[in-house]
Amino acid sequence: MPKAIVNNIRRLRFDHKEMTQQELADKIGVTRQTVNAIEANKYSPSLEVAFRISEVFGVPLDQVFQYEAAKR
Amino acid sequence: MSFREKSAWISFVLIFIFGAMWLRNVIRVEFFGLHQDPMKFFFVILVGLVAAEIGLHIAIAIQSPREARTPKDERERLIDLKASRIAFYVLTVGALASIGTLHLPDSNRFMMAQAMMGSIIIATLTRFAVQIALYRRDA
Repeated sequence: MPKAIVNNIRRLRFDHKEMTQQELADKIGVTRQTVNAIEANKYSPSLEVAFRISEVFGVPLDQVFQYEAAKR
Repeated sequence: MSFREKSAWISFVLIFIFGAMWLRNVIRVEFFGLHQDPMKFFFVILVGLVAAEIGLHIAIAIQSPREARTPKDERERLIDLKASRIAFYVLTVGALASIGTLHLPDSNRFMMAQAMMGSIIIATLTRFAVQIALYRRDA
């Protein structure tokens, strides 16, 4: 069953000077493994972490995360 | 493999070895009438377990000091909670089954206490096994 929440973190990292997962993890205060799990849609982060990610990339939250039901 | 996963593997393997040694001794005392103080043996292997846990955790912390210093994040705390919840059910069933041993023929308090100990070991193994499975699934 596909996850309802998908994200563009991988692309956003690439667009931001090919930021590594570790660099992003350090900026948002989680482990690299957690960033990897979020990117792979295996873990949905808390609202606080989601906002921190959007703040790092300087984009609104809905450009980082999308709810799949909204696409259908 | 992350520091937390390595830590869970170390605890799982060491407690498995500890549990196997403890079970072997209980069987020898209970069913083969070996005249040995089971509590003395228990505390000796318990000290060995603690020493091995400390030593191996220091070793993996030296390997990845940055990860070792980093506090658990929200995903790791969630994994801990899920694993503890499942282990709690195992412990509850084990505790009730241990009380049930009093109704067995030739039962005694020693057998009940050892059944309780067995429940604690199985619940702890379950906790670390679930942690490892969740870390692997999200890897």
